[in-house]
Amino acid sequence: MRNPFVPIPMTVERNRVETVDGGIRTLTLSFPADADRGAFDFVPGQFAELSILGVGEAPFGIASSPAEGGLLDFTISRVGRVTTALHHLEPGESVGLRGPLGNGYPMSELEGGDLLLAGGGFGFSTLRALARFVLKQSNRSRFGDITVVFGARSPGLLLYRDDLEEWGERRDVRLAVTVDRGDGSWTGLTGTVPDALRRLDIDAGRTTALVCGPPAMIRHTIPVLAGLGVAPERTHVSLEMKMKCGIGKCGRCSIGGRYVCTDGPVFRLADLENLPGEFR
Amino acid sequence: MRRPPGRGITDLVERLLTVAEVYAPVERDQSVVFDRIESAREAAIDRGPAALSPKNLVFPRCEMLLSSSTRGDESGRAPDPGPGGPRVLFGVRPCDARAIALLDRILGGGEKTDSYYIRRRESLVVISIGCTESLETCFCETTGGGPRSTEGSDILLEDLGDRCEASIITEKGVWLAGQIGLEHDPAGARTPRGPAPPAGPAADLAELKKRLDRSFEDQCWRDIALKCIGCGVCTFLCPACHCFDVIDEETAGVRVRSRIWDSCQFPAFTEQASGYNPRPSAAERFRQRVMHKFSYCIERYGMPGCVGCGRCVSRCPVNLDIRTVTASFLGDGGEP
Amino acid sequence: MEASAIVRTVRERAAELLASGRVDLVIGFEQGSMPMRAAPCFVSDADGTDRLVWNSFCGVNLARFLRGRHGRIAVVAKACDTRALVELIKENQLCRTDMVVIGVPCAGMVDSAAVEEITGHAGITGVEEADGRLLLTAGGSPVSLPREDVLCRSCRRCSTRNPVICDIAVGERAPEPEIPGFLDVDQFAALPSEERRTRIEAEMKRCIRCNACRNVCPMCYCVRCFADDAFPQWVGRGGDPGSVMSFHLVRALHLAGRCVECGACERACPTGVDLGILNRRMSADVYRHFGYRPGMAPEIPSPLSTFSPGDPEDFMLEPDRGRSCGCGG
Repeated sequence: MRNPFVPIPMTVERNRVETVDGGIRTLTLSFPADADRGAFDFVPGQFAELSILGVGEAPFGIASSPAEGGLLDFTISRVGRVTTALHHLEPGESVGLRGPLGNGYPMSELEGGDLLLAGGGFGFSTLRALARFVLKQSNRSRFGDITVVFGARSPGLLLYRDDLEEWGERRDVRLAVTVDRGDGSWTGLTGTVPDALRRLDIDAGRTTALVCGPPAMIRHTIPVLAGLGVAPERTHVSLEMKMKCGIGKCGRCSIGGRYVCTDGPVFRLADLENLPGEFR
Repeated sequence: MRRPPGRGITDLVERLLTVAEVYAPVERDQSVVFDRIESAREAAIDRGPAALSPKNLVFPRCEMLLSSSTRGDESGRAPDPGPGGPRVLFGVRPCDARAIALLDRILGGGEKTDSYYIRRRESLVVISIGCTESLETCFCETTGGGPRSTEGSDILLEDLGDRCEASIITEKGVWLAGQIGLEHDPAGARTPRGPAPPAGPAADLAELKKRLDRSFEDQCWRDIALKCIGCGVCTFLCPACHCFDVIDEETAGVRVRSRIWDSCQFPAFTEQASGYNPRPSAAERFRQRVMHKFSYCIERYGMPGCVGCGRCVSRCPVNLDIRTVTASFLGDGGEP
Repeated sequence: MEASAIVRTVRERAAELLASGRVDLVIGFEQGSMPMRAAPCFVSDADGTDRLVWNSFCGVNLARFLRGRHGRIAVVAKACDTRALVELIKENQLCRTDMVVIGVPCAGMVDSAAVEEITGHAGITGVEEADGRLLLTAGGSPVSLPREDVLCRSCRRCSTRNPVICDIAVGERAPEPEIPGFLDVDQFAALPSEERRTRIEAEMKRCIRCNACRNVCPMCYCVRCFADDAFPQWVGRGGDPGSVMSFHLVRALHLAGRCVECGACERACPTGVDLGILNRRMSADVYRHFGYRPGMAPEIPSPLSTFSPGDPEDFMLEPDRGRSCGCGG
């Protein structure tokens, strides 16, 4: 029986700043042990617990696609003790990882249809994993039209600039990047993610929506998606409820009879609507 | 009036001590808690329910998960489990045993089993004693148990004074009974001498769940929780509460990860690092406790997260009585 | 005045206050869910005042419940509740003009655990009070106990039996016993240091970190308690005895000069930790150095939270001067 609390050791490959204020960074991790790399089989939308022994452990969505050769990205907003320590990690240093955890986005349901990815802030990380996966040349033909909507509070807080630039140039993906408040040099959309969604013209009957972001964004996005005609059965929301153990034991991410860590973090909106409204 | 245990019980404890570590209710600083005993005299079987439940034996208040004194070693090592000989948890009330049955489903079950819990639990044999009297605070029957419930027990004893009758319930029970020459009484504790004590009427748990489920958004929670001070007495004394936090500490170069009991009544339980809290006030937190016990646990584990031991009732600093709360939902057939 | 007359008067006054609109809420006690329990209750209309009771089990300090509520509030308060109110007013946590104090004399509260112990956990199904005695039904039989024998620890050493501030006085003034200052503190201080350490450690060992002591305390109102801070973490949350000790020691220090010795913390503690062992020492020191007893005089400023540029004690500016003060600080 494997001890589910023992992390696998990972090595920091890169630690790069995402946002102008330095508050969000992305760590790229590699597996020192081939066996661990081979056993790590995940789908976009899953998460992992990153830890530094003696400092703490916290859950983060996997921000890279499964098709990236054994490297894992995690985007980390510095808010507390663990995230601050993770921000200070240098290439070559070790970090513990438990995962993959959670259910991930329903990949088999996504094939053949149109996709609408809507994310806000650093909640966009698992949608970035999904976008990179579906936009990979060898995968692209399995999906219909792809629309990515990404919002941040200000231009300085936009993440994954290389990806945004690449997607912006591609013709097989529609990208809408929006900021709550622009600055002098911002020429793109201003407004929230729901605002940007309202302007979209999509074929709702063919579209599956995938939403991830802070609770307020989710709260305001759901009615807009309904207005666009996306059915609750085809809307999937990734929740951010605080998790700890990640394996359905510690009880803190309970929403009704479900645990976000094992039954989620991705929930079908039709199912969420039957749960207590603690995610809204 | 409470009476001391019969000779049958004390004889049995003496025999148990020859084959296993025995943990029993003992008196410490004027209160009864579960601890290891070396002689039958120490056991405080006649002193009423233990102030703290025996869950500490399978789910300690603070348990080391990993440690390392090597820089860069992020996997750490789990503590040495020790010799792992049999341990007997003796003299629990059937309600406390039933709580262990719930912990088995939560910590011991699921896709990923908790190896720390399993290790402690596998070596533990639970011997309960059927209750012959109930306290003001007892309500086991309301939660689907009873003074002679066998759930979670390996052996259930009936104290008949100079001897005791045993119901041997599980394989573990058979093994231990064999070790100490205890015989299964076919009639056993299922036919107790004398009437079983009243321990509250059996509530309609399904009906309670139904009404709770449709009352999630009800304003009543605000009124119910008005006097709640948000401490962890109810959850820490509860034999079935199992929520925990995982913490890291470093002392003198040794880095340690542990898990500690946590409480859904503490604001920090759900407060995110960003400051956002989906359960911002006592109303949401108290609701979570009640819903978790009487709706979510039933849905997920097939039994309520409350066994009616009454500790929270007796020790709540402000007398926020969970029996009153559940009764208010079941009362007069309408909405609370 | 008989207990029943006190209850009647409390209900009448509360109903008048609510009916006239002088207050929006009355905080008092109601009968608990079983004998020997009274629970804080919140009444916002005159019809509900019949719920209010007053008996020997009203041990919770109701001053704890006033903060953070809007509107004008009446509170049914015994002496130690009013002492806490006084301190909270001094600390600008409550506004005197927004509260109506319905003051009730107190003869000390009864420790229900002690009653259970004395009656052999026989099950108390009824309790009445008359002439300083508790008339109990224990295990089906009548038992009569002198209240004095089962008073809470903090009430045994309390000599403040009448409200310090009061707008509506209910009942006659209770006699206030002459109790020598800090006998318990001096006796404990006279023990060898090893023995004191052992005693304190034994108390701390029983702590399960449920926070009941802190949460029930009227004076523990920090928006974020140091013990809950994760970043930086001031005190460990694990099983280390040093962390448990740190929590209680720091809390005792935060309460120095503020603790009104109501004993609510000890009554709330599910494992019976004797918190007085720390808090009483702080009280004794504050009394002996500053002549101050928290909550006793609304007009006297709190010594440890009052600063003035003209403070004659300039030891904070000149470290050498402070060494002889003997306070250990």
